[in-house]
Amino acid sequence: MMRTLAIGGFLVAVALFVAVELAARREGSRIPTLGEVCAYVMRYEVGSVPVGRIGLFGFWWWLGWHFLAR
Amino acid sequence: MEQPCDLTIEAPRAWDRPAVTVPVLVCLSLVGGRFPSFSIEANLWTLGTGGVLIWLGLGNRVPRRPAPVRLDRGAVWWTLPVVVFVVFEGATFAAAAGDDFPTFSLLADPLLEDGVIRSAGWLAWLSAFWGLVRR
Repeated sequence: MMRTLAIGGFLVAVALFVAVELAARREGSRIPTLGEVCAYVMRYEVGSVPVGRIGLFGFWWWLGWHFLAR
Repeated sequence: MEQPCDLTIEAPRAWDRPAVTVPVLVCLSLVGGRFPSFSIEANLWTLGTGGVLIWLGLGNRVPRRPAPVRLDRGAVWWTLPVVVFVVFEGATFAAAAGDDFPTFSLLADPLLEDGVIRSAGWLAWLSAFWGLVRR
């Protein structure tokens, strides 16, 4: 029962990611795509240090290591 | 004769085309998909490919697409899938009930043991990473 709940919850989350991305890609949509959100986050800098870029690259690197190497 | 700046465009680098990058990413993914979890090879391949992409992304070696200066209010819709995922990941992690109430990682691990799915996972990870580098 709890296992089904967890699987269902994660499937809902994935479906929502896809749905929001599809909504963002409609013509005239006011929702930015996930790529645009990431690009905006990566613009963040503290002084000359690209904190947003380093943070997102680091997160994505860790994600790949976590799922594909661990 | 020298051309005015507004009439010249930067010629794309020979390697910076889908005809080059897609086969390279596919080859890297097929190699990565052969390495099982917890192997030294898988760790080195992840660190190596990710390290090179970070090196490319933090320098000015790859042309980037222009980033938006500000986000529209519609960006708040992205919090919906993120919150749903974080709630379930947080609850399953805190419960630490193993397969009875599994985290996303526990659910993904058996799927990623298959070589084809593992290579597809590698391709998705590397393609998204390359997309981030170009942003």
